[in-house]
Amino acid sequence: MALATALRRLSDARLRRLCGRTAAGLTAGARLPAQRSFTAGTHALRSDDKVTVHFVNRDGDKITVKGSPGDSLLDVVINEDLDFDGYGACEGTLACSTCHLIFDEDTYKKLGAVTDEELDMLDLAYGLTDTSRLGCQICLSKSLDGIMARIPESVADIRQSTDGSV
Amino acid sequence: MALVNHLTASCWRNLQGGRMHKQLSVILRHLHKSATSEALEISATGEEAMPQRLITPADVGGTRRIKSLKEMPGPSTLSNLVEFFWRDGFSRIHEIQNEHRKKYGKIFKSRFGPQLVVSIADHDLVAEVLRAEGTAPQRANMESWKEYRDMRGRSTGLISAEGEQWLKMRSVLRQLIMRPRDVAAFSDDVNKVVDDLIKRVCTLRGRESDGATILNVNDLFFKYAMEGVAAILYECRLGCLENEVPQETQDYITALHLMFSSFKTTMYAGAIPKWLRPVIPKPWLEFCNSWDGLFKFTLIHVDKRLSDIKAQMEREEEVKGGLLTHMLVTREMNLEEIYANITEMLLAGVDTTSFTLSWASYLLARYPQVQEQIFAEVTSALGPRTVATADDIPRLPLIRGLVKETLRLFPVLPGNGRITQDDLVVGGYFIPKGTQLALCHYSTSLDEENFPDASDFCPKRWIRKDSTDRVDNFGSIPFGYGIRSCIGRRIAELEMHLALTRLVQRFHIGVSPLTTDVKAKTHGLLCPAAPIHLQFTDRETTS
Ligand code: HEM
Ligand code: FES
Repeated sequence: MALATALRRLSDARLRRLCGRTAAGLTAGARLPAQRSFTAGTHALRSDDKVTVHFVNRDGDKITVKGSPGDSLLDVVINEDLDFDGYGACEGTLACSTCHLIFDEDTYKKLGAVTDEELDMLDLAYGLTDTSRLGCQICLSKSLDGIMARIPESVADIRQSTDGSV
Repeated sequence: MALVNHLTASCWRNLQGGRMHKQLSVILRHLHKSATSEALEISATGEEAMPQRLITPADVGGTRRIKSLKEMPGPSTLSNLVEFFWRDGFSRIHEIQNEHRKKYGKIFKSRFGPQLVVSIADHDLVAEVLRAEGTAPQRANMESWKEYRDMRGRSTGLISAEGEQWLKMRSVLRQLIMRPRDVAAFSDDVNKVVDDLIKRVCTLRGRESDGATILNVNDLFFKYAMEGVAAILYECRLGCLENEVPQETQDYITALHLMFSSFKTTMYAGAIPKWLRPVIPKPWLEFCNSWDGLFKFTLIHVDKRLSDIKAQMEREEEVKGGLLTHMLVTREMNLEEIYANITEMLLAGVDTTSFTLSWASYLLARYPQVQEQIFAEVTSALGPRTVATADDIPRLPLIRGLVKETLRLFPVLPGNGRITQDDLVVGGYFIPKGTQLALCHYSTSLDEENFPDASDFCPKRWIRKDSTDRVDNFGSIPFGYGIRSCIGRRIAELEMHLALTRLVQRFHIGVSPLTTDVKAKTHGLLCPAAPIHLQFTDRETTS
């Protein structure tokens, strides 16, 4: 299927051009091509000056990593292979609220606007606070250098493990 | 509608006879594989399963004993059978949810023959269940859908697929049509369909003697929803809102109506054991016929786009397009998977959206003051003539509230399903893996505890004072929640927001004297039990 290959190559080129930002997860960079340039690619922002982010995991341990401007906090978790159980289940598509993060008040104010859709999903987040946000909706910028994000307690696990250790 | 066939219905489909035995034994076999279940000595019904040996009160750190399913309240098997088969409970599933909740509490069990369904009618418990989901949640038994697809050599789509296969397709599709900002790019396409909707309103009312009435608005909204979702999925116009609907579109509508009207029969299609088919052939035949019709339509449109793309390639032109083009070009899913997903999405996207639009405009007509408030908001944000786009919607909180409130009062899917994939404790009861749960959206969204004056239509209740103001909860999740939630949610919202904004801006909507109080009935989906006739009169400002 030479045609299919050609088509694929063609669209790949286009996709690469259009997608600055890697979508978190399996289908990295899959965005609709052509006419609709869906994501105003943020790759112009991409540079080597990275942004430092501290995560505090559910055990209270602090994990310090770096991300690129334009990346979402979910991207950072995925790129850095951070193991927060169940985090970011819907791959940043605003369907799950498992990417819930808690900030201190000052940081919270710096995080930028919240969309209605994010607020709706936040309402369904477990352990919601006044300074909660969804990690997949927060884009890094230099001004966020050094922020601290806490992963909330996980949902009281109502699943019973099958080995009897409950 | 079809969503129905699988979602709510699935529970009921599963209930009947023979097939259940098969399913049950499958579940049991499954259970026996897991260490827990082996230790549990599962009885023939699964209901006695109580892991006393495994989970003691101390284990769960509480003082409350975990109860077994056997102890769970619920209607007797007999009364349930009478309710559903004798008194046609199927069309009142939503009301029965409420009645049973009052009688038996937040969690109760019902038995349909050998099939046990555990109903969850409390927002906190619904949250518990959905938050505990694994990586590929299962809604219901989709065997009959799979059987049809196997027979015809077709793939499953998101609704009918499970496990790995589902996750693979879901991962592709959610990157394309779930992010609000990606879907906002369809705004102009949808607005062209809204243009035609408005024209159609004018044409239809012009045929009535009062120059205002639209008979059975759902007919109109059905066409709008179909045209809208097809504009996105097929990247082409079907002509549903024209005076002359093209034949192939008409054929599709016929297939869809067949699926819908024969809802009960097709439901039995899955329930009647295969060996009985020679004796009772009709349900299965109709089921296959309607699927044939639905797939055929997709094939026509997808193949046409594919050959256009090939031709463009051959002429070495740049290939441009939207969703379908992207799928055909990237082939992240193979062609059969594309066919199946487009078919299932079209099926899931039409009646759901059109019923919601019908209810929304009915409610606006019944509550003129609310309509005036929304009209005031729309005109102050946009003036009389500006056409709203996706970017304007954040400035129209009452339009968003209108859609949320409509779906709260009339959740198109009055109940959803989940088959538990782990042993769970919910509401103090041990629920073994493989149990069919029914999440009772209708009763939670009309619960006074979650929504004061729950039966009032009040879009304002969804307005936030500021961004830390929390409004809703798991009481009203009409699109579901989590990784198996509605993939078309943002598309549906866009179609509804843009259509309703324009209708409110352009017309005053009133109830026709021909329509009084319209109740809901469940026909798989929650739909109007009688036709809704409305009057659309021009707002002075636009004339
Ligand atoms: C008012 C409109 C709609 C409502 C209320 C609605 C509601 C729902 C609900 C409740 C589910 C089940 C979610 C779950 O199990 O957690 C669902 C699934 C689904 N819906 Fe929608 N829906 C609507 C419109 C649409 C549209 C426009 C499309 C297609 C573009 C669509 C496609 C689907 C598909 C494919 C699924 C199955 C998803 C999966 O299993 O992965 N829906 N919908
Ligand atoms: S990852 Fe699901 S909402 Fe952020």
